[in-house]
Amino acid sequence: MNTGNSENISATKEYETRLAGLYEEYYDKIARYVYVHIGSREEAEDIAGEVFLKALMSLKSYREQGVPMQAWLFRIAHNLTVDHIRKMSKHTTVQIDLAGLPADDSPIDGAEKRMEFERVTEAMSQLTVEQKEVINLRFFGELTSKEVSGILGKSDGAVREMQRAAIEKLRAVMGVEE
Amino acid sequence: MSEDFDRILDECVDRINRGESPADCLSQYPEYADKLRPMLKSMHAVQKTYAFTPSPDEKRAAGQRFHAALDKRRQATPALSFLSAISRPAAVATVAVLVVALVATLVILPRVIPETLVPNTEGNFAFLISDEPNAIGDFESLNVTISRVVLRAAGSVKPLEFTPETKTVDLTQLQGEDYQEIWRGDVPAGQYSHVVIYVSGVVGELESTGISVTVKLPSSKLQMSASFEVTTDTVTSFTFDITVVKTGNNGRYLLKPQISESGARSLE
Repeated sequence: MNTGNSENISATKEYETRLAGLYEEYYDKIARYVYVHIGSREEAEDIAGEVFLKALMSLKSYREQGVPMQAWLFRIAHNLTVDHIRKMSKHTTVQIDLAGLPADDSPIDGAEKRMEFERVTEAMSQLTVEQKEVINLRFFGELTSKEVSGILGKSDGAVREMQRAAIEKLRAVMGVEE
Repeated sequence: MSEDFDRILDECVDRINRGESPADCLSQYPEYADKLRPMLKSMHAVQKTYAFTPSPDEKRAAGQRFHAALDKRRQATPALSFLSAISRPAAVATVAVLVVALVATLVILPRVIPETLVPNTEGNFAFLISDEPNAIGDFESLNVTISRVVLRAAGSVKPLEFTPETKTVDLTQLQGEDYQEIWRGDVPAGQYSHVVIYVSGVVGELESTGISVTVKLPSSKLQMSASFEVTTDTVTSFTFDITVVKTGNNGRYLLKPQISESGARSLE
């Protein structure tokens, strides 16, 4: 009897069930995470769907040790996003889609929202790649610092420090006063 | 001090993510409130700016794709899982037998290849495309390219197919009572139950901006169950009505068959 294989099959089934259970909560978070990177809502939705299919196909490579499954999903999302940006960069500059902003406001409200959007986008662009990733995973993925540390291969303390430095920079560039 | 502050800020971010207000966190750490307040305001500004709720339709469609893949995977697993319970040589032998059986099955059993119909201007069957106006008014043009059409006779396993002579139709020109014949030819007499059109491309141009937009068509085909009869002594004209609908407020469009406006009629 090959009990090792039986255990693997049993673990894979358990992972399948857990992955299915994460879909409802994490689809939206992953879509927002991708959106911050690529700036297109439609493409972010497509990639979020793709993340779960890719995860299902790669369940054998998932190991409990290291990162929780939700953090592993964001690692897949990151890789798919990088691939997407690489493909798109051959054709166009990656830019947040201003057309995605709500259009049903008055012209004054719309202009204010656009200014705010540009202010925040400018602040985000001042962050280092790692700081931006921490902010994105914490604010939009809503992962804990411990989960983020597993994805980035850093200590919890290093992630908290990067988070603080990133928020301070955002505050300074956006000019948010006490 | 700095490490303490990092932990407190981290805790506040977690609590806001769980739905608490920044004020709750500030009141718990009054000694850090002056420093925390602008940082949490910055967090709020960033979250608000990039916040969006994915389209429920998209989420549902992606969920269906995921669950279909999961079901397929689960159905495949039991068939092979018994191999894990037997010895390795026996497993190899079993796989070999299964492969031989599969190859034999593929060689022996004939594949169901659709019968290809040929066009004929005097034929007994005409296939028309029309458009039920929904969101078509949003478009300057909406070109749909149809690569093939498949008809299924009731109770028959062998489908019939034809390649349209006019492959690309502009739905903006086919609204309401307007239609375009894309194929005419001879179709065997009988009762038919199913029509599928395979779409190889959809290109839409918005009237308001002139910008090309993607119109989604899940699985690249449109199909409908439609009971109609084809006879040898009359021309049966079948109208397949396609409609374009807007999905939510995200500027996306979806192509659908409009069954209520579709159907066959005898011309003679």
